[in-house]
Amino acid sequence: MIEALRQFGDWILGRGEASITIPIFDGALKPNQLLEAADVVAEFKEASDIAADSEGILVADGSRVVRPGGGERAGFGRPVTALCVLGDGGIAVALDGKELRVKGGAFDGFASKGPANAPFHAANAIAGLGDGRLAVTDGSLQQPVDHWVHDLMGRGGSGRLIVVDPKDGRARELARGLEYAFGACAMNGDILVSESWRHRLVAIGNGRPRPVLTRLPVYPSRVVPASGGGFWLTAFTARTQLVEFVLRENAYRRRMMKEIAPEHWIAPRLRSGESYLEPMQGAHLRTMGVLKPWAPPRSYGLVVRLSAAGQPLYSLHSRVDGINHGVVAAAEFRGALYILAKGPGRLLRLPLADIEKEAAS
Amino acid sequence: MTPILELRRATKLYGGQPAIDSVDFDLREGEIHALVGENGAGKSTLTKVMAGVVTLTSGSMLIAGKEVEPRTPLEARNLGIAMVFQENSLVPSMTVAQNLFLGQEKFYNRLRGIYIAAQQFLQSLNFDVAPTATVSTLGAAKKQMVEIARAVLHNAKVIIFDEPTASLTPEEKKYFFDLVRELKRRGVSVIFISHALEEALLISDRITVLRDGRHVVTDDTSTFDRARIVQAMVGRDLSKTLYAERKAKVRPPGERVLTIENLRMLPMVKNNSLSIFAGQVTGIFGLVGSGRTETFKVAAGVLKRDFFHGGEIFLRGKPVRYLTPAPAIRAGIAYVTEDRKVEGFFETMSIARNIYVGLMAKLGARRLFVRPKETEAVGKKWADALKVRAISPDVNVVELSGGNQQKVVIAKSLVQEPDIIVFDEPTRGVDVGAIAEIHELIDRLADEGKAVVMISSYLPEIMAQSDRILVCRQGKVVEEFSAREATEEKIMYAAIH
Repeated sequence: MIEALRQFGDWILGRGEASITIPIFDGALKPNQLLEAADVVAEFKEASDIAADSEGILVADGSRVVRPGGGERAGFGRPVTALCVLGDGGIAVALDGKELRVKGGAFDGFASKGPANAPFHAANAIAGLGDGRLAVTDGSLQQPVDHWVHDLMGRGGSGRLIVVDPKDGRARELARGLEYAFGACAMNGDILVSESWRHRLVAIGNGRPRPVLTRLPVYPSRVVPASGGGFWLTAFTARTQLVEFVLRENAYRRRMMKEIAPEHWIAPRLRSGESYLEPMQGAHLRTMGVLKPWAPPRSYGLVVRLSAAGQPLYSLHSRVDGINHGVVAAAEFRGALYILAKGPGRLLRLPLADIEKEAAS
Repeated sequence: MTPILELRRATKLYGGQPAIDSVDFDLREGEIHALVGENGAGKSTLTKVMAGVVTLTSGSMLIAGKEVEPRTPLEARNLGIAMVFQENSLVPSMTVAQNLFLGQEKFYNRLRGIYIAAQQFLQSLNFDVAPTATVSTLGAAKKQMVEIARAVLHNAKVIIFDEPTASLTPEEKKYFFDLVRELKRRGVSVIFISHALEEALLISDRITVLRDGRHVVTDDTSTFDRARIVQAMVGRDLSKTLYAERKAKVRPPGERVLTIENLRMLPMVKNNSLSIFAGQVTGIFGLVGSGRTETFKVAAGVLKRDFFHGGEIFLRGKPVRYLTPAPAIRAGIAYVTEDRKVEGFFETMSIARNIYVGLMAKLGARRLFVRPKETEAVGKKWADALKVRAISPDVNVVELSGGNQQKVVIAKSLVQEPDIIVFDEPTRGVDVGAIAEIHELIDRLADEGKAVVMISSYLPEIMAQSDRILVCRQGKVVEEFSAREATEEKIMYAAIH
């Protein structure tokens, strides 16, 4: 009762959950155009994840795992929604978000559908934990991987972190109720998980999830280790007050979801600017008597370099006027950072030395 | 030619200690005479003697060759001397027009008549100030305009300006200089006290330098450059260390300790968002009225944000809303005010007591009674740490120079051991020696891992001190620069366009 009254008060006064405030890109997240300056290595139609093995970068493209220059490493017959290179040379993939499968290495042929009582539904990221176990993030129990925007607009909160041990085949649910878990990485004995709809990273161990990085101005996606310690965090789109507002207006949102095609919802996208029917295409502000064009970002691209403690050090951006949006994965290989911009389906490459030099300026 | 105003062997003692010591000074008719020196050099005392605020202990004062001894500001005004004070001397609860005509009221005073006269007069000076506005509602720059207008209204032959440009925007400064030149053209003599040496070099005909209450040099402005003035002021060459063009080393950001999201306090703060990081000096630049001060006053509980949809403030990720400064102080946020005279200290209390007040604000109910010994110890510790120079530790803060008053205000906040310290115009009205000390202190605090915010209107200070620069315009942060990429042109462009 008291909670309901508090929520009503917040709604009237525009505070708390109803405040519709969003953080800005400042400090280490100060915008630049580094992602736009990246080399385009290759383009893919259905790329969903990347990883690096000893020979180079692997791309999960549709139902195959391929090399950017050509050549198939493995084919699975079903869409690959997550990819991870294992320490023994094998690869682990999530198929259609519903099954974990290992190919090559010591556990070649291993397959798991997750915990028996609640199998995988939208597995979207896999990470090796160093001891042979695999951490898998299951984004939603309600929506499949491709329907992530439906999960957001439906205020989904059924994401999970599941640890699978290929040695005994057991799958254990480590955390549930996550608001779209999308990416995991080992961190000092815990597992660092990105929670997209709550715009934060949490460390999950044996106890309750511990917030590591909160109030991000973006929807974070996968997180991978970086050379020299720390992590690379990717984000597939930025938050806007308009979307935050729509998320709080339940009746409007439900009607929008019922009556309008998903591609035209007021919702984040991986790419934008392709149809005149899209909302939020542009506007203008009059400042000091001058009309200045302005557009809220419907899609965005961001990669953040995090310290070992999970704090941002610097970032690479593709801004509202850019193309390389919808960044969902990153991987390092031989002194370069490879980035998957899912919006345009591009694999990008930036030399680490250049990034660090630019970040230092 | 007989000087219009002359002081001969002027000496003023406070408690047996000389504030000015055998100073000779002369002012020619229709000249602009800059008076420069460190805080405590005796500039204010010298000009207060001229303005009848204090009287000489020994020596003489002559106007047009005739010896005079004004004992009150009214007597000085009748002799044709008016002073525009460093910290404004307006009555906050009265209107602009009432302040202009204060002391000149007729027996049957007609308020409407005063407003009309004030309106015409302010328009003739091209000052955009409403005569019916209450002074307390005006910003620092407009208060300054009223002060200047009041001096001009009294048809003074000599006008003394004490730090007149400290709170003015660049455009307002330019206009002020035009006004001073116009006064000169009319034959008014101007004494101009400023710590901005470039301004003294730009506008004055002659410059007098004082040091430790003594006259050092008086010469034509054309014979001076910045280095010569500074050397005369401090007896050492500070010009290379003060306001280095750019920081040699930029501190990386630490933990994000304060986040302000879409803050509104209309009409000053409009949807403002920013973050403050530990271990860094974040410089905040903006013109007067850009909402920079108000934003941080809301964060520190000095002002309240809008009741409806006022935005959010997060301290280490947790939402906070301080309705008074006390809980903000206890949470580790200290705000060092830009208006030290009104908000910074209790002028009739000693240095130690003022500093102790800061500690009591932090301790709250845990310190219900003043403990004299603790007061003395805390006061001495911080006065020594910040090198507060006073004739005696028991002197009231009002008797200190501007720089030392500022150090007391800073000590009052530092005694609270804050994690986030907001310095609002920390070196306004402060001499070059004290500026260097305050800058060292700001650097030291950031090196210790504190989150330091420095709001300043002075671009060289922002450039030299900040690791990160945020520019405010029209109530919100519009641009962020790292110290390496910032230039004065870029910052000013962002602040205006």
